[in-house]
Amino acid sequence: MTINKYEEMNEMELDILKEIGSIGGGNAATALSSMLNAKVTMKVPEVKIMEFNEAMEHLGHPEDLVAAIFVEMSADIEGIMLFILTKEFSDEVLTRILGKECAEFLELGEIESSVLTEIGNIVISSYITAMSSLTNVDVDLSVPQFTVNMLGGVMSLPIAVMGVDSDRIMMITGEFKIDGKELDSDMLLLPDVKSLNVLMKKLGVE
Amino acid sequence: MTKKISVGIADMKIARREGIVITYALGSCIGITFYDPMIKLTALLHIMLPEQSKINDGNVYKFADSGIRETLRKFYAFGGMRGRTVCKIAGGAQMFQMKGGNGLGDIGKRNTQMVKKILAAEGLRIVAEDTGSTYARTMQIDAATGQVIIHSAGRPDRTL
Repeated sequence: MTINKYEEMNEMELDILKEIGSIGGGNAATALSSMLNAKVTMKVPEVKIMEFNEAMEHLGHPEDLVAAIFVEMSADIEGIMLFILTKEFSDEVLTRILGKECAEFLELGEIESSVLTEIGNIVISSYITAMSSLTNVDVDLSVPQFTVNMLGGVMSLPIAVMGVDSDRIMMITGEFKIDGKELDSDMLLLPDVKSLNVLMKKLGVE
Repeated sequence: MTKKISVGIADMKIARREGIVITYALGSCIGITFYDPMIKLTALLHIMLPEQSKINDGNVYKFADSGIRETLRKFYAFGGMRGRTVCKIAGGAQMFQMKGGNGLGDIGKRNTQMVKKILAAEGLRIVAEDTGSTYARTMQIDAATGQVIIHSAGRPDRTL
């Protein structure tokens, strides 16, 4: 059966996406763990299909200041992958790698920005590598882009892109814990509807 | 304290005489305020895409074209007069560059162009704008005065 809208997915299809999230996220956690030299675990991923404003509320207040790494997916799977970090999470990463927190979140230095971009890049590519070897799909990733901005602004682009043909967006979410500490971060896999059909077909789901 | 009325994504709210109508963190989206000073009537619209797609699930406020038309229909029904209506716009930033994305390119820029085109076609003037660049903006309008304030992280508030 062809999926035409996110909300048409059945239990089994949702479970498959959750499984992809869990394998991708697990691989990303391992990569993060070796970079930070810390124990990194991931919460059980969730598949959320929500109306725009509901999705925003789920992630936080639109004016919350966050750092975000943005990667565009193309080839078999099209869509967006976002890694969103709060100041807390960014500080933990920067302290572990550079030995100090950032002074001003909005005006990060070149080194701080590139450390966070690279962390995001590695997390996202380990996630996608696991996903594509599990499902045997080809995914090309764009050069990662980095910003520190209001959460609402960061989410406006994926919401607009996914919102062209739908009043809902679908997010496969994952959250990390560093050494047992719950620091707010969100890893979001946002595939378009067409790609869901590619994924299901590759996995033999009819 | 003045009542705050919050406008979501792809949403529109109207207020008369009192209240602050506010929409948070416009990225590539555009906030458009309409104000009739004579009767202190205001509307704030938050659109996210330039044009209505062929098939649509019904949310007219998602798009610049259908959103502006529906807002004006209500605004005029509430007694707003075209000749007195003052418009201000904010948003349309480029948060990230995208190659694919449904062929949308720089959505912020396309949104800005489309909003200006539709407002001109409706015979309305944009008296002030704060658009483009790469940062998110919160936009609010005071129904009592028509004053529009733009708030962004790490920048002083700007009055439009």
